[in-house]
Parts: sequence; structure tokens; C-alpha cells
Amino acid sequence: MKSRYGVLAAALLLAVAAAPLHAQGFKPSKPIEFMTHTGPGGGGDVFARGIAAAMEKEGLMPVRMQVVNKTGGGGATAMAYLVNEKKGDTHIIAVFTGLWFTNPIMRKEAKFTMKDLTPVVRLVLEPAMVAVKNDAPYKSLQDFIDAAKQSPGSLKQSAGSLGSRDWIVRQLLMTNTGANWAYISFPGGGERIAALLGGHVNMMVIEPQEAGEHIRAGNLRVIATVSDKRLPAFPDVPTIQEAGFKIPNVPQVRGIVAPPGVPAEVVAYWEDLFARFIKTPSWQKYLADNMFQDGYMRSAELAKFGDQFSDTTREILKAGGVKVAR
Amino acid sequence: MAKTSDVLSGAVLAALGIFIITEARQWEYLGPDGPGPGFFPMWYGIAMVALSSLLIATSIGQALAHAPRPKASEVGRALGTWAVLVACVALLKVLGFIVAFTLFTLFIVRFLYGEPLGKAAAIAVGGAVGFYLLFDVALNVGLPAGMLGF
Amino acid sequence: MEGFGYLMQGFAVALTPYNLLWCFIGVFLGTVIGVLPGLGPAATIAMLLPLTFKMEPTGAVIMLAGIYYGSKYGGSTTSILLNVPGESASVVTCFDGYQMARRGRAGAALGIAAIASFVAGTFGVVGLMLVAPPLARFALSFSSPEYFSLMCLGLAMVVLLAGKSMIKALLAMLVGLWIAGMGTDLFTSTSRFTFGHAELLDGVDFVVVAIGIFALGEVFGNMEVREGAQMLPAPKGLRNLLPTWRDLKDCRFAFLNGSLVGFVIGVLPGAGSTIASFISYGIEKAVSKHPEKFGTGVVEGVAAPEGANNAETGGAMVPLLTLGIPGSGTTAILLAAFILWGLRPGPLMIQDNPTLFWGLVASMYIGNVMLLILNLPLIPLFAQILRLPTYMLYPFILGISIVGVYSVSGSLFDTWMLAIFGLLGYAMRKLDYPSAPLILGFVLGDIMERALRQSLMMSQGDLTIFVSRPMSATMLFLAVLILLAPLFRKANALRVKAISS
Repeated sequence: MKSRYGVLAAALLLAVAAAPLHAQGFKPSKPIEFMTHTGPGGGGDVFARGIAAAMEKEGLMPVRMQVVNKTGGGGATAMAYLVNEKKGDTHIIAVFTGLWFTNPIMRKEAKFTMKDLTPVVRLVLEPAMVAVKNDAPYKSLQDFIDAAKQSPGSLKQSAGSLGSRDWIVRQLLMTNTGANWAYISFPGGGERIAALLGGHVNMMVIEPQEAGEHIRAGNLRVIATVSDKRLPAFPDVPTIQEAGFKIPNVPQVRGIVAPPGVPAEVVAYWEDLFARFIKTPSWQKYLADNMFQDGYMRSAELAKFGDQFSDTTREILKAGGVKVAR
Repeated sequence: MAKTSDVLSGAVLAALGIFIITEARQWEYLGPDGPGPGFFPMWYGIAMVALSSLLIATSIGQALAHAPRPKASEVGRALGTWAVLVACVALLKVLGFIVAFTLFTLFIVRFLYGEPLGKAAAIAVGGAVGFYLLFDVALNVGLPAGMLGF
Repeated sequence: MEGFGYLMQGFAVALTPYNLLWCFIGVFLGTVIGVLPGLGPAATIAMLLPLTFKMEPTGAVIMLAGIYYGSKYGGSTTSILLNVPGESASVVTCFDGYQMARRGRAGAALGIAAIASFVAGTFGVVGLMLVAPPLARFALSFSSPEYFSLMCLGLAMVVLLAGKSMIKALLAMLVGLWIAGMGTDLFTSTSRFTFGHAELLDGVDFVVVAIGIFALGEVFGNMEVREGAQMLPAPKGLRNLLPTWRDLKDCRFAFLNGSLVGFVIGVLPGAGSTIASFISYGIEKAVSKHPEKFGTGVVEGVAAPEGANNAETGGAMVPLLTLGIPGSGTTAILLAAFILWGLRPGPLMIQDNPTLFWGLVASMYIGNVMLLILNLPLIPLFAQILRLPTYMLYPFILGISIVGVYSVSGSLFDTWMLAIFGLLGYAMRKLDYPSAPLILGFVLGDIMERALRQSLMMSQGDLTIFVSRPMSATMLFLAVLILLAPLFRKANALRVKAISS
């Protein structure tokens, strides 16, 4: 055992020595706590473990990344933990998702916002697709909208909670077209897909990776994608904008934040590390497997993006009749 | 049967039911798409008030049946244990699990069971070390750490 | 018999020494984490995931699946010995398992749990093998209205779980519904009963409620008196360490009931093993010749829920493998693992990857045998824990409860909640409120409310949706039958009296 660790340590040392010394001054000296707000198996958890595994494989870090789950409060518990318990701690980072922006807007119980944390990097943009069952009469998004207009309220979308990305897409489409359909919340992605496959609802805004096998097997049909440009795996499917609906694109983002009060050199270390990380074959494969798009942004840009994202979301929420807390 | 206690617990539950109803009234009962967040709580709140009133009514009807009162000393011991547990939970944040649990065990074995101090200390330390070895070392499950980092 | 050929091929894959070893490691780890409360299979699989990248995928799948079904075996151990539910699904095993242990039959209870797990676990695999694709279609036809009716059927079980006072049982159930309602309303993002605590936005975790009310309530109740060097009589002699023939004969129906109920409910992604174990326990009690003895330590009361709990794994594999739909945190992380290895669970998986699918099925047969062989000799060993004097055992139970709760969420807030629920458990015991209905309400409440609202959204407010769909109508009818059963029984008793006099 001992000798194996020795070899490992040597390999890691080599990897570190080979790395350009952008961030003088900071280098992690003990395992990094890598926090996520979802329990094992949740979206953020799987994402964090994907990063940790790829990091390990590529040997970019001198230490291990240990995934820690702080669940509760739709991210609020994790955020409060970073602010209250880990202020200035240089050995903890966390995965953020769009929820970390929207949850504090909607919930007065959430004590902190993204502005209380140190932005590090944005990593991915997750596209989505508008899917219907294969035997449904809707061949395009326009068909669906027309049908919804004909009998308001009778078509149904299986979806997540209020304020999530699929809700925002629906709100934007409904305001843009004047159509109206029901939004039925299910707690898990699995139940959402099951409701669509079973014909109990008519439409779903689905993640490409979730839908892939059902499209291949001919159970589902994609009528539009929620992304800036067409997805490589589905070159024939137009984006919502190409399909003729002038609504802003709604990205689902994921990235990394650190606790407040972290020195600039630490942020710089992470920025550089992740800049190298996203070019590695392991990460490229991870993106391709999950059909994510690269969305790398450095700390300063991420802060700007976050403000803008929060403002847009707040407006959409208000327009949708949701009480906002801040 | 302990009928006074039924009247009391019934009253507490009726109060809880009323609280649930008043909270539920602030939430939408029927929304445009279907039942709102106030729908379900409203109904179980009403059911709770109704059933607890029924419990109180039936208990008062049988109030003459003399109930054996629980011994104060017994309840005291149980609640004492609970208080020690609460103290232990409060100390988790400051002292961490290992130290808090040692003190907790020491207290229970020494004072609630009256075992000799040496024996109590041995059990407390042994137990804490066992927890540390099992969870922290063998299973890599982090135990709550205190201000001192363990 | 094309399938038979595939299965033989699967056994050829699973029986290679390499895969046998991984299977053993998986079920062994599963047993260990199952025994420890709080630490669940989802967290364990997540922790081990990075290690499996260097492995060959079939071996890795076999090992991780072994952790999943292995943990179900271990979950009953602490329920029976200490009244601490090791996994959420084993809370029902506490009802009769712990009572058996109190009467010196801990060994028999553990034994029957292991045997029921084996029988039902194997049944689940047979089901997975034979009827996966048609059952997947059944799972899809089951939607919100059916879930609502299933939850009504579950709540009707309260009649069967009630002790002396039906009013108190119903009140406990309502408190359970209330606790289940705490947190964010999924549909409107309204906060309900969070008392301003962000930690409560996601609601209260099941483990906190179950461990608090069962384990802590029991400890506080026993702490009332200092006497009693031993909490429970430890089983004496080898005879008492294993179930008798009579026990096995008594459990014949329970094995079948647990297997079927567990498997069918396992197939539904929105239900879960806790509901399965509750329902099979209820059925067992409803058909029993001596329903009044349930809750005092009858073997069927252990065999049925433990069986259901294990058959559920085979069932849950159906939507996971054939639809790519996970029904729980554990199956979600298994799904993530499959994807990380580049396997694609979904409608085409059995065709695309027959070696892997049949290898996994075969390994589950082997794993269940291993678990039985592994668990039976452990029984005398585990039963030794009852020889500890109470002043050592109680701090140990309280400590393991704290760690178990903390390991689920990593938050100290939950340890405070544990203390509150411990007090509630003790109070309920003193005031004669049964705790099982509270847990029942807590487990079913959330899904029931959700299903009701989803259904009425689907039907645009039309209540007939619940009776116009045949499956939903059947379940509602059964629920009404169960609710009326005590009245029938009373009427019948009166009639018998009238005739005889």
C-alpha cells in the first residue's frame, strides 16, 4: 500500500511541477471539500462527482476533491453554510446551479444570495428540448401552440417546480403567443418522463440526455431545442427562436462558487485550474455524454452574468404573478 | 385509563389544528389550475380539530374512571435523559461529536445509572473512540466537528 | 427459450471469479451500511463511484447493484434489535421485529427477516427477468390519479394499525400529514410551516422522524427505571437463534404477499419501498387469523414488510433499466453511474447490451444466495449486542442516532430536530398514542397531496377522474372496504351473538 501511495504522490508532484505557475502563493494543501446542495444522485451531486472524477483522472490537482452533500432549503442551507461557517476558507468550493439565483429571489427564508458568495467560474450551459410523445399530432412547436390556443388550459406540460427553467420557458412562450396550457409539477425527472411517455401529459421541456434513449427508440419526438444554436446530436431540430418565437434564450447554468472573503489569488488559482480542466479529454467526453455546452466564464464575468440572470428571472417571476422576496 | 391526559393532549392537538387552519387560510385554497397550497392543510386541520374535540368529549364523559398517575420520578428520569441529549446536541457545534459524546455518555453512566466514575469514564472514552474508528476512519463518514477541528 | 439461453450466458458472465468477487464485495458492503442507520446505499454508491472507473463495467454494475440490494438485508438488524430503523423502509419491521426481540426471540426475528429477504429478493429478480418490458408499460399507465388512490389505500391501513383508540390513531396520522406538509409547496413554491427556518424549506427528512420517534422514544421510555441490567433478554441456545419450522409455516403467505406487493410497487417510480412495506404489513394483518396479535411480535409481521422491502429492488430495476427512469435517490445514482460508463439504460438497453443485462440479473440471483449465507451466521453475533448492560447500550443507541441523522444531511439542524422528535416519541408513548399511524401519514401525505393536485389539474377539476379510470377505482374501492371492515366485523359479531342466544 505504502509504495503505491508513494508512486501516486510522485505522479501528483510531477503534475503540479508541470503546471504553469499562474497562481503563485496559493496551492491547496489538504483535500478540497466540494460541496453540493443535492443529496447523492441529485443533479448537482452527479455534476460534482463528474468533475471530481475527471480531475482525478487528469491529475490536475495535488490533492483530492471530496464531495460533500449539504442538503435542504433548495440550496439555501448550503449557501448559509458557506457564509456562516466557511467565510474565508480556501479549501472549500461549491457547485452552483440556476436555483442558487432563483431560490433567494422567491424565498424569504433564504438568508443569502449569490452576491454574498465569491463567484469562481461558470462551467456549463445545459440545453433542453421541447419533447412530445411520438404519436402526438404536433409536428412542430407551432402545432403545439396552435392546439393550445384552440382549447385553452386543456394541454398539459409535465414539469418541475415553479421558477425552474421549464417554468420560465413556458411563461415566455405563453406571453409571447397568448396560448395557455397547464403546468403540472412532479418532484423528479423520472416521474415527469413517465407522465409524458404514459400519455398523461402532452409536452415536456426535457434534458437531452434524459430524452436520448427514448428518441432513439422512437417513443418521443423533439419539436424544438432550448439553446443558442442547434444541438449537434439533433441537427434537424430548430431552436425555439428558429421555430419563429422571439423569446430570450433561457440557459440552465452550472459552475463553481467559493465562500465570501476568499483571497483573489485563490480565485485566480481556481480560474486557471478550470481553464485547463475544460480542455482535458475527460471533461470533453463528459460534456459530450451529457450533451452539455461549454459555458466557461471567469469570476468577474460570472458576477456580471449573475446580476443579469437574477434581474431577468425576477422580472419573469413577477410577470408570472409570483411574489418575490427580494 | 389516563383520562385527564387525554383531555390535555386533545386540547394541545385542537390548538395545533386551529393553528394549521389559520396558517392554511393565508394560502390559496383553489387556484386557476386546481387545488392550491391551502387545500390539503385546511382539510387535515379541520379533521384534527374535529377528532381532538371528539377525544376531549369522550374522555370527559368517562372522567370518573380513576387513572393511575404516572410516577413523577420516572418521567423525571426520562426527561432528564432528554435534557442531557439536548445539551449534547448543543455542544456538537462547539466541541464536536467525539468530545460531546464522551461527556454525554459519562454523565448518563455516572449520574443516571450511578456506576463508579472510573468505569463511566472508561465506557465514555471507549465508546467515543469506537465511533471515531467506525465512522471517521473505516467508513469515511464525517462526524460533526467542533471549533477545534475534530 | 431464447431468454433461457441468455440467462445461461448471464451466469457465465456472473460466475467468473472476478465478477463473483465484486458481487461479494458489493453485498458485503451493502449489509454493513444497511446495518448502520442513516448511512444509506445512495451515499455509499456515490462515494465508491470514482473507484469503479478503473473497473470493467460489468463488474462495477454488479458491485454497485449488490450494495443496493444488500443494504436492504442489513436494514432490519437495528430495527429488530434496537428499534432503530436502519433504512427508511425498515421502519415497519420495528413494529413486530422489536417486540419479538423483547420476548427473547431476536434470533428468530433476524432469521425470518433474512429468509424473507432472500425469498422475496429472488422473486423480484425472477420478475425483473420475465416481465420487465410489459411491466414497464404498466408503470407508465399508472399516473397521478392511480397514485392518489394507492395513497388512499395506504392511509386506510390506519384502521389496521390503530391500537386501543381509533381516534388517537387518526390524530397521530393527521400529525404525520402535517409534518409531511412542512416545506416548500412544489406547485406554487409557497413555504408552509417552515417557521422562518431555511433548513425546513425541503421538509423534514424521514430518517429524523423515524429514528426520533421509534429509537429515542423507546430509549427515554426505558430510561424511566434504573433497574434492569439488560434491555432485552438475549436469545439463549442455538434453538432460539433461528426461526422454527412453525415460524416458517406461519410465514408462507407473508413471503408471497411481501414478494408480490414489493415487486409491483417497486415498479412504480413514484411510490417506494416504505410504502410497499406498509401495504404488505397491512394486507398481512387484514387476512390474518389473529390480527389482534400484530404489534406484539408475530413472525408474519416481520416477514411481510421485509420481503416487500427486498422484492422492491427487483421491481425498481424495471423502470431503471427499461425506461431509464429512477424512482429513488439510490436508483438515480445507479443511473448516473450507468451513464458515466457509457451504458444507456432505456428501452433499447436489453437489446443493445444483453451481456450486461443478463449478467446483472444472474449476479442478483447469486448475490441473494450470498446474502443469505452471509447474514445467517451473523445473527448470533449481532444478537450479542443485547448482552450489553443498559447503561452502555442506551448511550450507544443515542450516539448512533445522532450520527445517523447527521450523515444524511450533514446539518446540525437535523440533530436538533431529532431531539424534538425524540421528545414527541416519548410523549406519544406516555399518552397512549400509537406511533405507526404517524409514520404512515408522514410517508404518504406528501405524495397523496401531490397526486391529488396533479390529477385535478389533468382533469381540469373533474373529480370523476378517480373513479373513471379502472385501476384507480379498484384501489379506492379496496380502501373503502378496509375502512368499513371494523364495522362489518362488529355487525357480524352482533349477528353471531343474536343467533346463538
